[in-house]
Amino acid sequence: MKCSVRLWLVVVLVAAWATACGERNGTTRLTFSGSALGPEAVVLRRQLLRFGERHPGIEVELRVTPDAADQRHQLYVQWLNARAPDPDVLQLDVIWTAEFAGAGWILPLDPFALDADDFVPAALAASRWRGRLYAVPWFVDVGLLYWRTDLLAAPPRSLSELREAARRLRNAGTTRFGLVWQGARYEGLTTVFLEHLGAFGGGILDAQGRVTVDEPAAIRALTFMCDAVSLDGFVPSSVLTWQEEQTRFAFQNGDAAFMRNWPYAWGLLQDGARSQVANRFAVAPFPAEAEGRPTAALGGAQLAVNAWSANPALAWALVRFLTAPEQMLERARLATQLPSRRSLYDTAELTEALPIPIEQVRQMLDAAVPRPVTPVYSELSEILQVRLHRALSGQQTPEAALREAAREIRALLARSGLASEEETP
Amino acid sequence: MRSVGSKVTGVAGAALLTLLLFPIYWMIASSLTPESRLFQSPPLLPSTLSLDHYRALFDERDFLIPIRNSLVVAATTTMVALPVAALCAYALARLRFRGRGVLLALILAVSMFPQISIVPPLYLILRELRLLDTYPGLVLPYVTFSAPLAVWLLTAFFRQLSPELEEAAMLDGASRLRALWDVVLPLAVPGVATAAILTFLYCWNEFLFALSFTLGPERYTVPVAVTLFRGRYQVPWGQVLAATVVATVPVALLVLTCQRRIVAGLTAGASKG
Amino acid sequence: MSGQATAIEREERRLARWLVAPALVFILLGSLVPIAATAWEALHGHDLRLPWLGRPFVGLANFVEAIGDPRFTSALLHTVGFAAITVPLELGLGLALALIMHTARRGRALIRLAALLPWAIPTVVAALVWRFMFDAQAGIITAPLRTLALVGESFDWFVHPLAAWVPIGAADIWKTTPFVAILLLAGLQTIDPALHEAAQMDGAGAVRRFGTITLPLLRPALVVAAAFRMLDALRLFDVAYVMTGGGPGTATEPLSLYAFIALMQRLRFGYGSALSVTVFLLTFAFALIWVRTLGRSLVGDRT
Repeated sequence: MKCSVRLWLVVVLVAAWATACGERNGTTRLTFSGSALGPEAVVLRRQLLRFGERHPGIEVELRVTPDAADQRHQLYVQWLNARAPDPDVLQLDVIWTAEFAGAGWILPLDPFALDADDFVPAALAASRWRGRLYAVPWFVDVGLLYWRTDLLAAPPRSLSELREAARRLRNAGTTRFGLVWQGARYEGLTTVFLEHLGAFGGGILDAQGRVTVDEPAAIRALTFMCDAVSLDGFVPSSVLTWQEEQTRFAFQNGDAAFMRNWPYAWGLLQDGARSQVANRFAVAPFPAEAEGRPTAALGGAQLAVNAWSANPALAWALVRFLTAPEQMLERARLATQLPSRRSLYDTAELTEALPIPIEQVRQMLDAAVPRPVTPVYSELSEILQVRLHRALSGQQTPEAALREAAREIRALLARSGLASEEETP
Repeated sequence: MRSVGSKVTGVAGAALLTLLLFPIYWMIASSLTPESRLFQSPPLLPSTLSLDHYRALFDERDFLIPIRNSLVVAATTTMVALPVAALCAYALARLRFRGRGVLLALILAVSMFPQISIVPPLYLILRELRLLDTYPGLVLPYVTFSAPLAVWLLTAFFRQLSPELEEAAMLDGASRLRALWDVVLPLAVPGVATAAILTFLYCWNEFLFALSFTLGPERYTVPVAVTLFRGRYQVPWGQVLAATVVATVPVALLVLTCQRRIVAGLTAGASKG
Repeated sequence: MSGQATAIEREERRLARWLVAPALVFILLGSLVPIAATAWEALHGHDLRLPWLGRPFVGLANFVEAIGDPRFTSALLHTVGFAAITVPLELGLGLALALIMHTARRGRALIRLAALLPWAIPTVVAALVWRFMFDAQAGIITAPLRTLALVGESFDWFVHPLAAWVPIGAADIWKTTPFVAILLLAGLQTIDPALHEAAQMDGAGAVRRFGTITLPLLRPALVVAAAFRMLDALRLFDVAYVMTGGGPGTATEPLSLYAFIALMQRLRFGYGSALSVTVFLLTFAFALIWVRTLGRSLVGDRT
C-alpha cells in the first residue's frame, strides 16, 4: 500500500506541475486575433512588431483564427461567452459588433476619446450599439459592379440597362454568362439581396426597426433576381452554389460580362499572368431603378476590446495604433483594403497607394449601406438566406418567401425584445 | 455432426474476427499511406509506407499537448475517484445502514444519466468559478461520472472477499478502518486496478464534456483535438488517421495487458453488481 | 448481549456515514444538483447573447416552443428510431459473437482481444475511421460498390438524408456489439453444461436446445445488456457530431446534438436546457418501463 501512496503523490504533483505550466508570466502580453491570410498577414505582422518596438516591455501575440467568417464567429462566441481574458483585441466583421456589444462581451470605447468624426459614417454606425461606441472601423469593404470596358462604352445607369446589356451580350454569345453574383446559402447572398433591395428603394428594416422585407419594393427586388436566374437567364443558375471566388474565376476567364464583388478582386483581376481581362474592366456602383438609389453593401472589419481583458488601456493603445492614418495607408497599399478614415481620401498618398481610381472609390463609399445593426443579425441573416435560396431555386414564389421571412424575423425580434413599439403585440 | 458444427463456428469466428479487426487495420494502413495515394482506389495492402503524417502530427500540430492534457485529466480523475469510490463501496459491501438500497439505486441511476442533461448548469457554474478551460473543470464532471461505475465494481469485488480475515484483525483489536487499510485493500488490489483501468478509459474517451468545457488547443483533450482538426477547405485525412492511431495506442496497450481484468470488471459491473 | 450488538451497529452506522459521505457529495454536487438546475433553467427564458432580457421565469414556454419546433420533433424521432433499429441488431450480433466465443475451442483469447479493442477505443476515433471508410471519393466501402455499379458515379453517403444513417449505424454497431457479446458470454458461462448434455441425450437438437435452455437462462443477461445499450443509444451524440454534424441539413441530428447546438452555439440556455431535460426524461422513462416490466427481479436481488 505504501508504494501506491507514493505513486499517488507523484501523479498529483505531476498534475499540479502541468497546471502551473500554463500560467507562467513574463513581460506584459497582449493578444490580438484576426484573419491573417496572404498580404493581410504580412501587413499585420509588420505593424504588430512596430507597436512592440514603440512600447518596450509589451509583447503582442498574434492568434490566428480560421479564415472562414462563420467559423471565426463561432470561435469568438465560445471565447467571449466563457469570459476568457484573451484575446485582448479582436478583429470583428462589421455585422458582429452589435451582437457582441449587446451581449456585453466587448468594452464601450466612449471613455477613450476617439476622433469619431473622421470615420466613414456607415462604418461608424455599425460600430455603435444603443448610442455607445463599441468598436473602431479598421478597413471598409463595399460591393462593386465590375464591368468589361472592351464590351461596353459605359457602365449601365439602371438595373433595366444592366439587364438589357447582360441579355444582349449573353444571347449574342459574346460571353457565356451575363451577370454573376454570390448566390450560395451564406452571408454573401444577403449582401447581394441588400444591393438589389436598395436599387428598388426597399430595405430589410426601416429606421424605426420595423421589418420591411415583405413590402412591394422588396418583392420587386427579389422578383428581379429570380427572373434574372430563371426567366431571363442572364445570371447562370450555378451561382446558387457560388461564393466570391467562383464568381471571380468566371469573370477572370472572360466568361461573364458583369460581376458583383468586393474591391479585393481588383488586384487579382489585373494580374495578367492569370487573368484574361486585365486592363479590360472597370468598376461602378451597383445601378438602381428610378425609385431606389445605387446601393453598395458595406463590409469590412472593426477592432474591439475584450470586456474581460486584463489590460484594457493597453489594448486601446493597440487599437489606436492600428487605426492610425499611417497604418491604414500601408494596409491600402499592400492589401488593397480601403481606409475607414475619410480625411485620407483627400491625400495624395492614398491616391498613390490604391490601385482603384480614387474618385470611383469615393463614389462607392457614398453609396455604402450597412446591413441591419442588431444583436440578432446572424440569425436574421440565416432566416433570409434560407428563404432567398428557396425563391431563387424555384421552390417558393418571391412573395411567399419574403412573407415567411418577414414573419420569422418579426418573431425573432419579438423574442429578443428588439421589436419596435408598433410591432410588439 | 460435431466436426461440422465446429467448422461452422470456425468459419464464422474467422469472419467475425476480420470484421472486428479490419477497421483498425485500415486505420493503421491508411495512416502510413502518403497523402497523394490516400484518395486513389485503395489497395488492400499499402505499397509505399511513409511516416509523414506522424511527423506532421507532432511537428506542425504539436499533438503532444492534447496527449498531455488527456493524461493529466485521466490520472487526476482516477486518483480522486478511486479512494472516494473504494470507501463507499466498502460501506455498501460490509456495513449495514439505513438508505443502503436507495444509495445503490441512486449510484446506478447516476451512471446512466445522459451527459448533455447536466451540461448547462455545469457550464454556468464553471464559468462563474473561472474553471472553464482548466483541468479541475474537467476533473470535476469526470469524477462524478466515473465514481459510480467504480463504486458498483468495487462493491462486487469486496463482496467476493471473505469477511473472516478482517474479522480476525478486528478481534486482534484493530478498528474497522485499520482492517480495511491493512487487510482488505491489499486483497482488493486486483479489483482496484480494474476500476482504475475502466476509469482511465472513460476519461481518455470522453467527448461531450471536453468539447463543452475547453476553449482552445491548449486544453483540448485527445478526442476533441482529433475531431476539431479540419483544414480550411478539406479534412487532412492522413493526419487525422495518424492521430486516431496515436489515440488508440494507450487503449490498445491496456487491452493487451489487462484483458482478463477488463472482462471481469465489465461483467461484474453489469451483471453481478 | 443485545445492548452490545446495537452499540456495534450504531458504531457501524456512524462509520458507514463517513465512508459514504465523499461519494455522496460528489453525486449530489456533480449530478443531482445539476440535473435539478437544468430543469429549473428550462423554465426560464435565458439567452446569454441577449443579457438585457434577464432571466425571466416563463413556465413551460420553452417546452411549448419545442413541441412546435419541427427540428425538435425530427430530432426526437431520429433518436428513438436510431435506438429502436441499432439496439436489436447489436443484441442479435452480440449473441452470435458470444456463442462463437463460447463454443470456439481455439482462438478464444484472440477473439476476445479483437472484441475488446473496438469497445475500448474512443467513440470519436471509431466514428472518424468509419467516416473515412465510407468516404465518397475513395472509401474502402464506397469504391467497390461504385466499381460494381451498385451506386452511381457521384454517390455520396453523406448528402442523402437516409443513406447518411448507414455509416452512423455501422460505426455504432461495430463499436458496441462486442460489449453486448462480453456481457452475454458471462451469462452463457453460468449455464451448467450438464443441462445441455442431458437434453442432448434426450435427443434434442442444437436449435431446440438453444431455444429451450440457452435463451431462457440467458434472459437476465439479455435484459441487462439491452437496458445498457438502449440508455446509451438514446443519448447518441459523439458519432453523429463527428460523422455528419447532423447533416445533410438536420437529417441525422439526434436530440443530444440539437440540445448541444442550442446551448453552446446559439447560447439559448433556457431553450437548450428544455431540450436537455427532454433527453433526460426520455432515458428515465425508458429505464422506468424497463425495470417495471422486465427487470424487477434483477434489481430486487441486489439490494
